[in-house]
Amino acid sequence: MRMTRAGLLVLVAFSIPVAIELRVLFGFFGVKLPLTASIVFEAVFLLLIAVFYNVSAEPKSATKN
Amino acid sequence: MATFVDRYPEEASVVKATLVVSFLSLGIGALFGLVQALHRTGYLRILDSVDYYTVLTGHGVLLALVFTIFFLMGLFTWAVVQSLERPLPDIRLSWAWVGLTTTGAVFAAVAILAGLVPSIDMSADVLYTFYAPLMGHPLFYIGLAMFIVGTWLAGADWFLAYRDWRGDNPDERIPLQTFMVLTTMLMWYLATLGVAVSTVFFLIPWSFGWVETVNPLLTRTLFWFFGHPVVYFWLMPAYMLWYTVLPKLAGGRLFSDPLARVVFVLFLLLSTPVGIHHQYLDPGIAEGFKFIAMTNTMFLLLPSLLTAFTVVASIEHGARQRGGEGYIKWLGALPWRDPAFTGMALAGAMFAAGGFSGMINAGMNINYLIHNTLWVPGHFHLTVGTAVALTMMAGSYWLVPQLTGKRLYSRPIGLLQVVLWFVGMVLMSNAMHRGGLAGIPRRTAEPQYQNFEFSTMLGSVEEIQAGIALGGTLLFVSAVLFLFNILLSSIEDPIENPVDDSLPAPLSGASGSPVVLDNLRLWTAIAVVLVILAYTLPLAGIVGDAGVWGDVPGVPVWVSGNLDAALAALPEVIA
Repeated sequence: MRMTRAGLLVLVAFSIPVAIELRVLFGFFGVKLPLTASIVFEAVFLLLIAVFYNVSAEPKSATKN
Repeated sequence: MATFVDRYPEEASVVKATLVVSFLSLGIGALFGLVQALHRTGYLRILDSVDYYTVLTGHGVLLALVFTIFFLMGLFTWAVVQSLERPLPDIRLSWAWVGLTTTGAVFAAVAILAGLVPSIDMSADVLYTFYAPLMGHPLFYIGLAMFIVGTWLAGADWFLAYRDWRGDNPDERIPLQTFMVLTTMLMWYLATLGVAVSTVFFLIPWSFGWVETVNPLLTRTLFWFFGHPVVYFWLMPAYMLWYTVLPKLAGGRLFSDPLARVVFVLFLLLSTPVGIHHQYLDPGIAEGFKFIAMTNTMFLLLPSLLTAFTVVASIEHGARQRGGEGYIKWLGALPWRDPAFTGMALAGAMFAAGGFSGMINAGMNINYLIHNTLWVPGHFHLTVGTAVALTMMAGSYWLVPQLTGKRLYSRPIGLLQVVLWFVGMVLMSNAMHRGGLAGIPRRTAEPQYQNFEFSTMLGSVEEIQAGIALGGTLLFVSAVLFLFNILLSSIEDPIENPVDDSLPAPLSGASGSPVVLDNLRLWTAIAVVLVILAYTLPLAGIVGDAGVWGDVPGVPVWVSGNLDAALAALPEVIA
């Protein structure tokens, strides 16, 4: 599946509530994650998305067309 | 192929006028929101604490009432005209309600904003929930009354258009968008009876000093008689866009016309007899009536869940028409580049979260946990602040080119804007919900108690403050980007086809739905009976306890000019 820049933007947006609520999820099991854990998770996630985008992004000529 | 402005230029001017008022209010209200977010979190305080409540009232009234309802009036005008395929019966009537609602909104806004100018002896810091005993300047109530009457006239305009159409089409089903407008307006006529009685018979005479006392519980109950259904008055334009425009933007068609009609009928029936769920902590209303209100409220989940199913099914259909496959992968085939689509889709996703936090509010027992805390604004910033506001902004990217005949200035800026709103609201509303669970109060300029610490379940209060401040700032930037994009769009050169404005027929059309769904008299009669059942005994009890006029003199809120009067009144109110 090829990812567009718009798709990338939306995916990044959706990752933010996931990163925030990750602490709530762990909280249900009695694990108190610090804020830095959410930040690290988000950073790693963004890195993975960036890699995936670079691998799967549409060629520039295709985007223009 | 001509667009709306070419076919109906006079109606397009009416819609544009309402949108101008709507977007101006959005700009001022968003600025006030930023000021509040930075003030109460302590990051930037440019106001006195007293003025915070002026800004808070302005934020609530300008965004929750003026921005949303003016947008609704424009959208509904567009919807009636284009779905009936005929102009409004008398454009003078249309301009009359535009003028009346605008004048009313200006009066109310002037009364509020004057509170920021100490030399003017006028203020209306009564908050968006403008019931007694807080007393605003009479101009505020007069403006609100004009505004409400103006919306009634707008409804009459649309009903007259429908009557003319029905005369020419006696056997046709009501076009879906017009059906949505009519059922919403029937609900509005019923719901606004409460606030109209409260404003005209109690608050205006009381603020002028013609009557000396008021029954605060009665005005609170009459406010909430209107105050909950107004939520659906905001929401129904968003639903209209989700049902009739979003599937088209996704590349498909509405899944089911009959389900859409059922949903709007259910909102007509169930929206009003629920307002007492805002009064769970009010003494003077028996617990049994509160329980009935809670039960009615939970029934309202049904149309929302039907909507979730129908709209998502329609979007999935669109994605599959665009080549999407699999259980999840079809999401990638959706037109995420289109800010109109993406904004509405993100708004719908946030509405799901808002629905869940709303169930906490609606439950009598768990409501006590979060009542009057930051949780509540956290909730309604997801519903009216995102499901409604973001849908209206995103919808504007598709609607405004039809009204101007000009293309949208920038789709990338539009896309960035709707995503920024989503991210900002995630940060702010999440922090507000968490702050509410920690007991942090709402409507407080500088929430703090001596020798008291709010105990958070996760993280710290400082982290919550940072979330609110950062989220509020992103939301303000998003609002500015939206206004900037719309403003620049309005000065583009006209083109022939600025946007594809056709709306495809539903997969399951009106012919498949029971004819009884179009019997508006029947549904209105049932809605009236439900309201009588829900409210007669509570109102009789409230009047029986303290009389129609009550015994409370009121607290004038134009503090700078009436400090002595306010202080003199306080002991009596407290007693």
